[in-house]
Amino acid sequence: MSGGRVRAMWNRVWSWISPYWDALRRPSVHFSLGFLTLGGFIAGIFFWGGFNTAMEATNTEAFCTSCHEMRENVFAELKTTIHYNNRSGVRAICSDCHVPHDWTDKIARKMQASKEVWGKIFGTVDTREKFLDKRLELAKHEWARLKANDSLECRNCHEYDSMDLTRQSPRAAQIHQRYLGTGKNTCIDCHKGIAHHLPNMTGIPQG
Amino acid sequence: MTTRRDFIRASAVATAASVAGIALPPRIADAASEAPGAGMKWSKAPCRFCGTGCGVSVAVQDNRVIATHGDPEAEVNRGLNCVKGYFLSKIMYGADRLTTPLLRKKDDQFSKDGDFVPVSWDEAFDVMAAQFKRVLKAKGGAGIGMAGSGQWTVWEGYAANKLMKAGFRSNHIDPNARHCMASAVTGFMRTFGMDEPMGCYDDFEAADAFVLWGSNMAEMHPILWTRVTDRRLSNPHVKVAVLSTFEHRSFDLADIPMIFKPQTDLAILNYIARHIIKEGKVNEDFVAKHVSFKRGNDDIGYGLRPDNPLEMKAKNSKDPNGGQPMTFDEFKAFVEPYTLDYAAELSGVEKGWLKHLADLYADPRIKVMSLWTMGFNQHTRGTWANNMVYNIHLLTGKIATPGNSPFSLTGQPSACGTAREVGTFSHRLPADLVVTNPEHRRHAEEIWKVPHGLIVDKPGYHIVEQNRMLKDGKLNAYWVMANNNMQAAANLNEEGYPGYRNPENFIVVSDPYPTVTAQAADLILPTAMWVEKEGAYGNAERRTQFWHQLVKAPGEARSDLWQLMEFSKRFTTDECWPPALLAANPGFRGKTLFDVLFRNGKVDRFPPSDVEAGYDNAEARAFNFYPQKGLFEEYAEFGRGHGHDLAPFDAYHQARGLRWPVVNGKETRWRYKEGSDPYVKPGSDWQFYGNKDGRAVIWALPYEPPAESPDKDYDLWLATGRVLEHWHSGSMTMRVPELYKAFPAAVVFMNPDDARARGLKRGDEVKVISRRGEMRSRVETRGRNRVPRGLVFVPWFDAGQLINKTTLDATCPISKQTDFKKCAVKVVMA
Amino acid sequence: MRSLLPLAIAVLLAGCGKAHEEKPHKAPDAPVSITNAGQQIDAMRRGVPIDKEASPPPMARVENFDRPRPINYEMQPPTIPHAIDNYQLTVNTNRCMLCHTRSNAEKFQAPPVSDTHYVTRDGKILEQISSRRYFCVQCHVVQTDAPPLVENRFQGLDTSFAAGETR
Repeated sequence: MSGGRVRAMWNRVWSWISPYWDALRRPSVHFSLGFLTLGGFIAGIFFWGGFNTAMEATNTEAFCTSCHEMRENVFAELKTTIHYNNRSGVRAICSDCHVPHDWTDKIARKMQASKEVWGKIFGTVDTREKFLDKRLELAKHEWARLKANDSLECRNCHEYDSMDLTRQSPRAAQIHQRYLGTGKNTCIDCHKGIAHHLPNMTGIPQG
Repeated sequence: MTTRRDFIRASAVATAASVAGIALPPRIADAASEAPGAGMKWSKAPCRFCGTGCGVSVAVQDNRVIATHGDPEAEVNRGLNCVKGYFLSKIMYGADRLTTPLLRKKDDQFSKDGDFVPVSWDEAFDVMAAQFKRVLKAKGGAGIGMAGSGQWTVWEGYAANKLMKAGFRSNHIDPNARHCMASAVTGFMRTFGMDEPMGCYDDFEAADAFVLWGSNMAEMHPILWTRVTDRRLSNPHVKVAVLSTFEHRSFDLADIPMIFKPQTDLAILNYIARHIIKEGKVNEDFVAKHVSFKRGNDDIGYGLRPDNPLEMKAKNSKDPNGGQPMTFDEFKAFVEPYTLDYAAELSGVEKGWLKHLADLYADPRIKVMSLWTMGFNQHTRGTWANNMVYNIHLLTGKIATPGNSPFSLTGQPSACGTAREVGTFSHRLPADLVVTNPEHRRHAEEIWKVPHGLIVDKPGYHIVEQNRMLKDGKLNAYWVMANNNMQAAANLNEEGYPGYRNPENFIVVSDPYPTVTAQAADLILPTAMWVEKEGAYGNAERRTQFWHQLVKAPGEARSDLWQLMEFSKRFTTDECWPPALLAANPGFRGKTLFDVLFRNGKVDRFPPSDVEAGYDNAEARAFNFYPQKGLFEEYAEFGRGHGHDLAPFDAYHQARGLRWPVVNGKETRWRYKEGSDPYVKPGSDWQFYGNKDGRAVIWALPYEPPAESPDKDYDLWLATGRVLEHWHSGSMTMRVPELYKAFPAAVVFMNPDDARARGLKRGDEVKVISRRGEMRSRVETRGRNRVPRGLVFVPWFDAGQLINKTTLDATCPISKQTDFKKCAVKVVMA
Repeated sequence: MRSLLPLAIAVLLAGCGKAHEEKPHKAPDAPVSITNAGQQIDAMRRGVPIDKEASPPPMARVENFDRPRPINYEMQPPTIPHAIDNYQLTVNTNRCMLCHTRSNAEKFQAPPVSDTHYVTRDGKILEQISSRRYFCVQCHVVQTDAPPLVENRFQGLDTSFAAGETR
């Protein structure tokens, strides 16, 4: 974009917002300071609540699977796995594994997710073929995140201290004790692809 | 014969090690030398199951099979077997093997509503002969029928063909192979004028791309799949495209995965032809020299009973096989509507995948192997689908050279060797001859040394029609051999079961085990199986393979061959042939069918001493000649010098199979191509000599909808099929504990969303209901098959869950092969 | 009558399932009368006549106890003694070989695949598993707890191969 066009655009935007800006800069002549403080506080609560509600809405399965990229690819794959359908009926939805529960991390992840909105608009993975081509890159991001946070989202439900190893198969129990219990490995080291199909894993360690 | 020591020395590992000059890892060497079992004898045999034709090494001790391995010397599988093959040792030892004939009796008399009682062979054949004679007297051969098999050995099929077509003068003999590859046959005949693939399995190691058109090779042809896998994984440029109406295990290797809506494969095929033309990728030289064009009759109906509204409505249901010559330009105009947009819309497949697929065929640098089984063949337009895949290979000239191979796979061990080559179909004679051609009949009568005019000139009832005719009371004496058609045929409720239990009919079933079909019969004959008799099978790549009898059959069980020949002794020509024919040929008077068909100076030509030393042969002992050798040599006369040449009998007991035509001791790998096929005229490069003009035919054929589609009452597609662990109706594999426990019962594979929408969970008991019947099963939302919404898949191996109570007996009107992949059902909580 | 014994056993075995429903499926406007098909002989039908429908047995569970089962004869592929639900075995990845590859077998205390698996179709010996053996489940299958409907009387060599041998 040329400098001239940027300047022209800025001028247009400025002409549009400058009256409001001026009003904001002027001290109030009608309302007391107390009113403004209280009003601001209440408005803040509404805004804050609204913000969080909106953000929670983006955490629901209905939201995640409202676009076909998610619905036909990763969500369809989830449906035959233990994280969708299992003995006890406790199941994971997308955000349980893919959105941090801690507030700051969540905001950071949501800001990253704004990139996914662009992806949707520009049709980055709007066919199965494009999605398969892109899967390795997308998966690597998630593996790296989970590796860095010591599989935090797994551990929100699967805490080693709460595992009754005698209720696991001998093979699983033994491996969990040797690698997870000692902290040598974290969940994602061995459980890549636990909920979705894997991309080409050549050169990527899985255990 | 090889000793165990020889065998181990020849095993893959040892050979490999010596080739590579590497000392064997100690564990293997130890196992070889210290393994117990000295004194057991190893012999070769082909596998008893599918049409791949793997070689097996069989160990026998004290008249029992005690072990089986993949045969390292067998070219097909080089030491590998699939899980079924590895458990071949156990298929003969189910505790309920039939060891004596069983006849339905009441008050010590045969009675259709009696209970099964063990009887002697004499009594069994007495009653059976009396019943057959009752029918002969009333209707002649027209009332007698036989359902045969692609599991018959070559000589069993040949003997049955003779007994029916020459002995009883009935063409109502048809194999279960009709359900399996009849569309492949008619596809070959229409395009090339000659049956069976031009290529061979060597193509697997030469192709750059594999396209699976309705074939789940990973489960149904596992050893061929190992060859595809090997090629794909060792050569990164190789691509695999898999097309199906649901996702199955073969998709695990797919670079181009395509789920299409049922029946729309026809549109995809025409789109590819159009793409090749539009992109200028037609091999013009090849097309000009080796191809002709025909427009096939359309609107040909669905092979249902003639009074079905669908048949009455169809314009060409009387002449489905017809067609007229057309020009290449007319063909171009014909495929013009099949644009990428149209194909994508109709099939539901992403355009990108469609284009990639079309480019595999269009790109002259890519050698393509197309593979198909039941997805194409069990299709109301199955013959068309076969023709249309040849179209795209012919447009590009990608045919009959290593790696360029349209390849029809077969499901039974001798679908090619017996059903097709021996011609046990209701319209056929050996070596592609047909009963409707007077010259062909005459030729057969000469080889068989029977009077001219004996063979009936009209095709008999095909196997689907046989059930209808049993029900209608037109077919009254019926012999079922080496198949389980009550379980296998579509529409059991309306056709099969009423047919078998029709009080006018006498039904005989020969089988090693008490199957569903045996259960529905009036007389059951206990049958020797696999290595309990000497045999020959022909696999999908034209490879004829022999084995010796290695153990005795249990109890009174006898081979199909013995049964056919022994039964023929109970009939005289006077009872079976018209008086005028006998008056003209008085020399045949008063003779038994056995005398005429099997003691004809040819079949009985070889003495029992010709049987290889060290091997038993129950039939040679029974008849005092070597019937397998005599029958084979007589049969081979049909093909020798006519492009179907078989080697001398004894050669096959030495070789690990030979691919016909075997000319001057040399097998043929690629037919129709100069240099590899001795029948091609020098200088012609390619010659499709099955057709008089030497050209293969490109057929212009449209997309047409299926016979039945889901609607608001029956809202799901039903596709039936198989699973890796069980072979066909499961009568052998369900009796092997390891295979049974791996997949013990049929299930309804259903999309999780479809299940949820019906309030169903995995494991719930459900009824699958169609307009024809219902069966009970359980819902499976996980597992090896991932079906799209709107379709359920149910395997048919489980006798406890007869899915063919719901299927529709619509067939391809040309091939008469049932479409088991498409009908409408609903699934409700039971 | 002796020869009917195996039949009787099979039918008895079959009788263990839940009794079938008596309500026959209506054969739609069948013009012919159907003669009764008599006693039941096909053990796979679990004693249910062909024209009737039975409640299918409950879905069997995959045995998941991790103890290798004995094999019947040399070169029989051992059955899988554990569940493999959701194991990905595709062109992209092979879950089985995570534990059963030679280099990892010790670490996961899994039996390594046998030496035969390192030989190509042409007899070359490789460092890694031959790609013709890539799809393990073509030969190795899980076992459910479903009790077989018919006994199998196969007898191998009397010396059975030791449990855990994986040839």
